[in-house]
Amino acid sequence: MSESTPTPAFKASHASRMVTLSLHAFTQLVRMKVFYFLAVFAVIVIGSNFFDMAQHQGPESVGANVLRNIKSWSLGAMALFAVVISIVATALLLPRDIEDRTLYTVLAKPVPRIDYLVGRLMGVLLLVFVSLAVMDLLMVAALHLRTGMVMEMQEKMAVGRGWPEEAIQSLKQETLASGVNWQLQAAVLAIFLKVAVMAAICLSVSTFSTSTLFTTVVSFLIFFIGHFQADALDFYLKGVEAGTSTFSQYLALGFSLFIPNFQLFNVVDGLVQNQPITLLMVGKLVMMACYYVLLYTLLAWWIFSDKEV
Amino acid sequence: MAICPLPSPCAQFILRFIMANDAPAVEITDLVKEFKTTMRGRPLRAVDQVSLRIMPGEVYGLIGPNGSGKSTTMKALLGLLAPTAGSCKIFGRDSIKVDSRQDVGFLPENPYFYKHLTGGETLRFYGRLCGLGGSVLRERIEVLLELVDLKDARDRRVGGYSKGMLQRIGLAQAMIQHPRLVILDEPTAGVDPVGSREIRDLVLKLRDQGITVFLCSHLLEQVQEVCDRVGIIFAGKLIREGKLEELIAIEDQTEVIIRHADSALVSRIEEIIQSSDGAELVQTGKPRTTLERLFLKEIKRDHQS
Repeated sequence: MSESTPTPAFKASHASRMVTLSLHAFTQLVRMKVFYFLAVFAVIVIGSNFFDMAQHQGPESVGANVLRNIKSWSLGAMALFAVVISIVATALLLPRDIEDRTLYTVLAKPVPRIDYLVGRLMGVLLLVFVSLAVMDLLMVAALHLRTGMVMEMQEKMAVGRGWPEEAIQSLKQETLASGVNWQLQAAVLAIFLKVAVMAAICLSVSTFSTSTLFTTVVSFLIFFIGHFQADALDFYLKGVEAGTSTFSQYLALGFSLFIPNFQLFNVVDGLVQNQPITLLMVGKLVMMACYYVLLYTLLAWWIFSDKEV
Repeated sequence: MAICPLPSPCAQFILRFIMANDAPAVEITDLVKEFKTTMRGRPLRAVDQVSLRIMPGEVYGLIGPNGSGKSTTMKALLGLLAPTAGSCKIFGRDSIKVDSRQDVGFLPENPYFYKHLTGGETLRFYGRLCGLGGSVLRERIEVLLELVDLKDARDRRVGGYSKGMLQRIGLAQAMIQHPRLVILDEPTAGVDPVGSREIRDLVLKLRDQGITVFLCSHLLEQVQEVCDRVGIIFAGKLIREGKLEELIAIEDQTEVIIRHADSALVSRIEEIIQSSDGAELVQTGKPRTTLERLFLKEIKRDHQS
C-alpha cells in the first residue's frame, strides 16, 4: 500500500495549534514543579493571621488589622509570585527550545511562527491564571473564616458593652465589607492583567535574546522602568505647556506609549484601605492590557518571523 | 461554447493531483546561503550554488564531511533558514511557505525532544500540531510505536531514552502525519550497530511504501546500502551527483564471484585471462564481509542460542 497522497489529509487550524502549544507549555512548566511556590504562599496566608496589632479599644477595632493583613499580604504575595513566574517561565521557553533544538522539530511541522509564539504565551498565561486562582481560593478561604471569627468577637464585646442592636448590625455590615467581596476579585484581575503585559514584553525580549538570564534581567528592568512611566508622560504633558524641546517631548511621548504604566495596575494598596475599585477602572485596565499584549506580541512576531534557528 | 475562466473545485483537485505527482519531491535551484560573521568581515558562504532534484519515491543521500553544508541545505529546504539566493521547493511548493511542511517529516541531527513528555505524549503533541486528533491520532501512534519498536517504552519519559530510542521516536514523530517526504539529518549518528541497522531497515520500509527519503550522512557505507541516488557536497558545493550504481562502478573492471571454486578452476581462469588481448587480472582472493555484518551475525547467533 502506498502512503503517498496528493494532498495532505490533515490540517490544523491556527486556534487548535495554539491550544496544543499552550497546553504543552503549561504541562512543561507544571512538570518543572513551579507549583511548589503555592506551599510558600499558604504559609504566608496562615502567617498573616497571627499578626494582629493590639489596638483593642472598642469592638470596631477587634481583628480589623488581621483582615487587612490577610488581604495585604496575600495580594502582595500574589502580585510578586505572578510577576516572577511569568517572567521566568516566559524567559525559559523560547531560549531553551533553541538551545535544545526542540524548536527545529516544531517549526519543521506546518506551524506558523505566530502560532508558536502565541501558543507559548498562552501557556504561560494559563499557568499564571491557575496559580492566581489557587492563591485566590486560599486567600478567600482564610479571609472568610477569619471574618466570621472577627464578627463573633466583635458581637460578644459589643453586647457586653451594651451596644444597641442597630449599631451591632451596622458594625457587622462594616466588617463584612472588609472581608470577602468582589473588589478582591477585581484586584486579582488587575494583577493578572499586569502579569499578562509583562509576559508579552518578556516574550518579545526572548525573540532576540540568546539566553534565559539576559531575557530575565532585561524583563525585570523594563518592569521597574514601567513604574516610572507616569513621570515620563507627566514630563511630556508639562513640557507642552512649558515649551520644552520638541525632541524631548516626543521622546517622552514615545516612551509613555511603548512602556506600560505599571503603577496604574497597583490597586491593591487602595483596596486594603477600603478604597473601591470601580467598573470604569477595571475597563480601562483591561483595554490597556489588551493594547500592550497585542503590541508586544506583534513585535515578537516581527522579530521572530525572520529569525534563523 | 463559453469557457469557464476558473476551474471547478473538482477540476482544481485533479489539477493539483496531476501537478503533485509530476512535481519533484525536492527541487533545490542555485541555493546559496551566507552567514554574517563580524560587522565588517566577509560573509561565510556555507552553501554555494547547490542544485538538486529528488523525484517521488527515491532515496537520496547527501554525503560530505562535517561542515560541508549538508545540514544548512536541509534547514533551507525546511524553511528554518532563509536562502541568500536560489529557491527550494517541496512537491512544487516554495519551502518558505508553511503549508509545504504538511508533506514533510524531519528528523534533526541528535534530536532532543521535550524531556518532560513520554514517548506516547511526544507523538500526540506532534500529531496535534499537524491536525490529527481523536481515534485517527490514537491509531497512528499505535502503528508508529509498533513500527519503531517502542511500544514498551511509550509511558517512559523521553529524558530517560537511550540514543537509539531517541532516534527511533524521532523517526516516528517525523512520520506522524503520513508525510510524502522524510528528511533525515544524520539518522544513525551515535547509534550502536544494532540500532543503526534498525534505522536502515526503517528507511527501506519507507521506500517500499513509496515515501521519498532525503538523508544526509557522513557514514558512507550506510548511505551506499539504502540510497538510489547520491550527491557529494564539499565546502558548500555539490561536486558530484548521480545514481549510486553509476557513481561507484569502476567502468573498466569486471567482478566475478564464484562459489566452491577449487584451485585448478582458478588457475584455468587466470590462464584464460592471461591469454586474452588487453585483459589484465587485477586481484583474486576471498570476498570479505564487513565488520558490522559479522557483529550483527554473532549477536544474532548468541541471542538464538
